[in-house]
Amino acid sequence: MGKLTIGSFSSPSGTMSLDFAIKLAEAAVNKGHTVDLWLSGNATVLGNRDHKHFKDYSHLQKTIKILLDSGRFQMTICEACADARGCKKDNTLQGCRRASMDWYLASCFNADRVILVGDN
Amino acid sequence: MKLCVFMSEYRSGYDIVKRLEAEKLGIVLVGNSVYHAASDNKAEHCMLPENAELYVLAEDLECRGIETAKLASEFRVVTYPDIVDLIFDEYEKSVWI
Repeated sequence: MGKLTIGSFSSPSGTMSLDFAIKLAEAAVNKGHTVDLWLSGNATVLGNRDHKHFKDYSHLQKTIKILLDSGRFQMTICEACADARGCKKDNTLQGCRRASMDWYLASCFNADRVILVGDN
Repeated sequence: MKLCVFMSEYRSGYDIVKRLEAEKLGIVLVGNSVYHAASDNKAEHCMLPENAELYVLAEDLECRGIETAKLASEFRVVTYPDIVDLIFDEYEKSVWI
């Protein structure tokens, strides 16, 4: 089994790129791989807890919680990007880490595969 | 190098994939780019590199109401677990355009 590092800058709403990233992570974890997910830019909003589930909106947090509980998935948001968007530490999803880009760099270096999903 | 390219847009990306050189080139159509696989227009398929392996994500076809039976034969329909295998087993690098 290997390690996959996924990065994304995309917003949780307005594009489907984060949906792709989470579904890819889910499939990899289910196959026994480990996955690091790095979110920066507008993607950090996904790290806020208690997203409301509207019928016509993508809702990824249920899957994320299951992935975090698996022990083979880490989700880390860029702390500076989050702070710049008013996403406070005390409102961060349980299990989601906050770090600088050094974390992403280190994750990429020791991953078997790396993919950056989506654009701005 | 064995390179896997994820295309997500319908109207852009050709200029990039046409210039890519790889020992093995795979193109995975996701999002709105799956419309390329649904097109009856052969010329549109030809805009993708001839030497590339072509894949299209089943879920993104389904949510756009595109039947897999109507796809051109050169496209292989894949699921998320299939994509994981492509990334780990068949290609060395993956990029998103």
